[in-house]
Parts: sequence; C-alpha cells; structure tokens
Amino acid sequence: MRTILRVIKFTGQSLWRNAWLSLITLTIFVLTLMTVNAVLLVNVVTSSAIKAVQNEVQVAVYFVPGTSEATEKAVRGYLLGLSQVKTVEVITAEQALQNFKDKNAGDPTVLAALDEVGGNPFGDAVVVSAKSPDDFAFIIEAIKTPEFAPSIKQTDYTDYQVVIEKLTSFTDKLRLAGLVLAGFFGLISMLIIFNAIRIAIYVHRDEITIMKLVGAQDWFIRAPFLLEAVLLSLLATIIMTGVVLASTKALDVPLMQYFGQANLSLWGYFTSNALVIFGGEFVGLAVLSVLTTVFAIRKHLRV
Amino acid sequence: MIRFTNINKVYKPTTHALVGVSFHVKPGEFVSIVGSSGSGKSTLAKLLFAEERPTSGKIVVGDWDITQIHRSEIPTLRRQIGVVFQDFKLLGRKTVYENVAFALEVAGAANARIKEVVPQVLKIVGLGDKHGRYPNQLSGGEQQRVSIARALVHRPKIIVADEPTGNLDTVTSREIIELLKKINEFGTTVVLVTHDRDIVNALKKRVLTINNGKIVSDVEHGKYMLG
Ligand SMILES: Nc1ncnc2c1ncn2[C@@H]1O[C@H](COP(=O)(O)OP(=O)(O)OP(=O)(O)O)[C@@H](O)[C@H]1O
Ligand SMILES: [Mg+2]
Repeated sequence: MRTILRVIKFTGQSLWRNAWLSLITLTIFVLTLMTVNAVLLVNVVTSSAIKAVQNEVQVAVYFVPGTSEATEKAVRGYLLGLSQVKTVEVITAEQALQNFKDKNAGDPTVLAALDEVGGNPFGDAVVVSAKSPDDFAFIIEAIKTPEFAPSIKQTDYTDYQVVIEKLTSFTDKLRLAGLVLAGFFGLISMLIIFNAIRIAIYVHRDEITIMKLVGAQDWFIRAPFLLEAVLLSLLATIIMTGVVLASTKALDVPLMQYFGQANLSLWGYFTSNALVIFGGEFVGLAVLSVLTTVFAIRKHLRV
Repeated sequence: MIRFTNINKVYKPTTHALVGVSFHVKPGEFVSIVGSSGSGKSTLAKLLFAEERPTSGKIVVGDWDITQIHRSEIPTLRRQIGVVFQDFKLLGRKTVYENVAFALEVAGAANARIKEVVPQVLKIVGLGDKHGRYPNQLSGGEQQRVSIARALVHRPKIIVADEPTGNLDTVTSREIIELLKKINEFGTTVVLVTHDRDIVNALKKRVLTINNGKIVSDVEHGKYMLG
C-alpha cells in the first residue's frame, strides 16, 4: 500500500515535471478517442436514418372504384399471406377523399376541381408495408397477378431502395474514413507516448540510477511509467466522455427536429451504452499505451 | 564476508579487465584497493554489487554466492552493500534529508522507519544541522557525506567506496576517510577504491594492489606500492 502510494507520488511528479509532454500526449489521446466517437456517432445517426426511411417504405394499391368488398378482402388476404408483407392497412374511399381534402385545404382551385368532378373520385385502397425494403419488388410483382389485375387501378410506391443504397454506401465510406483516421491517430498516439516515456526515462535517469543502486525493485522503478500511461488514458477518456455527453445533449433536440424522429437520441445512445463505449475506449487506449510503454521501457530503461 | 575466487572479467570484445583475481575479506575489515588508471579497480567494485557479472570465477558475499545472481535478487544484495562514488550521485532537486530518505522510500521502507533512520545517519556523518540544504548549497566534502549517509540507511554489512575522495581536496579527503574509518569501527566492512597514495599510507590498513587486472600485492598495514 505504502509503495503503491509512493509509485503514485512519483508518477504525479513525473507528469508534472513534463507537463508539456503530458499535455501533448493527452491531446493526441483525446483526438484518437474523438475520431472513434465520431465514427460511432455517424453510425448511430445513419442507421437510425436508414431505419426511418425503411419504416416509411410502403406500397399503395388503389382499387378501381366500385370494386366489390369480396375482391378487396381477397386481395388483402392474398397480401397478408405473403411472408414479405408486414402490415396491410385499409384506406376507404371516404378516408381517401378526406385525406385529399385535408391535404389541399389551402388550395381553393383543387377543391373547386373536386366539386366539378362531383361525388367521390377515389376508390378504396390498401397500404402495404414490407418487412424489408428488399421485398418491395417482389410485392409489386405479386400484386400484378391476373386474378386481381382488373380490380386494381394503380400501384404506387416511392423507390426508397435507391435512397437507402445511396445512404448506405455514403455512410460506409464515411465510416471507413473515420476508422482510417482513428487508426492514424492511434498510431500517432503510440509514437507520442513512446517518446514521452523515453523522455521521462531520460529526465529521470539520475533517480533511476540511484534507485537501482540503493536496492529499489525493478517493478517499483517501472511502475510509475506504466501508471503514467494508464493515467493519461484515463484522463483522455474522462475528457472525451464529458465532451461527447455535453455535445450530444446539446445536439439532441435540433437533431430530433431535423429528422422528425423522437427515437433518435444520441445522448440516450451514449448514456445507455456508456460503460461499453467509454469503458471500452479506456481499456483500448490503456492497453495501447501500456504496451507502447512496455516497449519504450524495454528499449530505454536498462534495469 | 567477501570471497573472490579466480575471477575473470572480459568486456567485449577483448578487454581483460580482471584476470584470475582471488582474495578474501573478513567481516569488519577495511581494505583499500589501489592501482593505476584502467587497472580494473572499478570493475572489481561493480562485481561486488552486481553491476557487472564475472566472465568466470565465483563471488561470495556473506554466505551468498552472487556469481549467477538473478536480476530479481539484486535489490536484496544492494540493500546489504552501501555504495559511494566519486561524483556523489545526489539529486539536485532534493534536500539533504530527501536525498537520504529517497533510498529508503524507493526500497519500500515504512515512513516511521524513514523518520527514525534518516536523522540518525545524518548525525553519524556530521550533517545533523543541514537537513534542509540542497546539494548545491553544500561543499564537496559535505555532499560526499550525504552520499555516505545514504549508503548507510539500510544498515549495510559492507560499504564499497569507489574513489570517494577523487573530487575533494586533501584536507576534506582526510575527513571523509576518517568518517569511513569511524563507520568501519562500528563493524561495517569497508572496501575503498583509491589511487591517492597519501590516504593509503595514512590509513595503515590492508592494501590490495591491482595492475593490468591482476592482484600484484596484498599486504596488511600496507603502503601504496606503485609509482
Ligand atoms: N563497460 C565497459 N565496457 C568495456 N570496457 C570497459 C568497461 N568498463 C571498463 N572497461 C575497461 O576495463 C578496464 C578496467 O576499467 P576500470 O574502470 O575497472 O578501471 P579503474 O581501475 O577503475 O580505472 P580508473 O582508476 O581510471 O577509474 C579499462 O581498460 C576499461 O577501459
Ligand atoms: Mg574507476
């Protein structure tokens, strides 16, 4: 216990004496973590954006007005029987008319045109959601079966698949760039901690010589350098955790408004996975810097 | 206390620093090791506290065969052998007290023990009133006293001093030697490496003379033989 306290004391002195070096090391550690967190952030935002788009992928099937209840029911049953279909929602002609009116409430010419036509120009319709966006092509083909074709006026869908593919390939590239950057900063981190430890060993060469001569144990001589690496990793993680939590908290409301989605809470994501994310980052960084330190000690500290 | 048997030390590639060196030092003895520059005196001292390993031969300290000493055992050995050097090896940022305490701290001694031992050894070397000074506020002789105090903190059985007076004037040198004699009288074995003729002659203790890595004479109450 006593010796542990002394190791901590020596570590503190070392960090303080090389304050500039400690600061530089800390900065590059923080940058490394920042890129890692940025990659995570991009992941969360894009995967939730993709999910949002996917949820909106629907096919509307409009029946010819006057199609019999039985036929409509048969179509619904047929669609629900497909394993690719998630839900089938019925929109009656009245609802369709009302929706149309609501949508164009501010446009008198459209409403006037509607009056001109007289009655309800809409037929019944069903809105089909697929389990996966990949299934849409299949569903659209399936609906074209000759059995039902005469009753169906029109199928209508937005080709979200293209949007999603574009989004996915863009975010894949972004993620790759982020990982490359993180790797790059990781490498720089290792170089810097290596040199920081080398310099710390150089600065303490007299102490180290004396320690050896008066019978200090090897581990006691080495421990402060290792602890230094761990402490700097911890400090960098704490700083980065603070930055991430503060900025996601601030970003959450504007982001939700932008995406129009209540379930996209970055803050929520980072807080509910805090242990895994920040704990993992700390462990990763600490392992990286301790290994580098061990290497630096092997090379430069002849105990 | 110390037994060298047929020690050879070769520095790579071809420096034969010690050749067939054998001698025995009894507990409580005061031995001076003399010889011209490059004769192998420091090498002999370094073998004693395992800073270097012999190429062949056998070294026993106390009952302990340290010839093949494991790295992990070196700290234990060094707590039994106090070392003093020509250049004092003090830490400039630490006070006299802190310099001495440092040796105990890094060896894991309890705080209470540090508080007890440091003033004791500083008193022994005559620096009881200079605890708070920094090395650059001390004379060379005083600095060497601090380093001797530091060598004493583990109550070593042996003190090895490699040219402790090399940087000091004649009067101060004599005082340092007197201090080593006093420590020896308390029962500590002292191995003194020097090439100061006057010191050796005044000591009238055992003298081992080395030349070209070989022991060329070994006399009780000896005199400086060379030059
Ligand atoms: N680490 C080393 N590597 C190679 N050769 C060395 C090493 N240390 C000492 N020597 C050589 O070994 C020989 C003995 O050196 P040593 O330091 O023991 O001499 P010394 O008697 O202490 O000399 P001095 O009185 O000048 O201090 C010398 O020739 C020296 O050059
Ligand atoms: Mg020498």
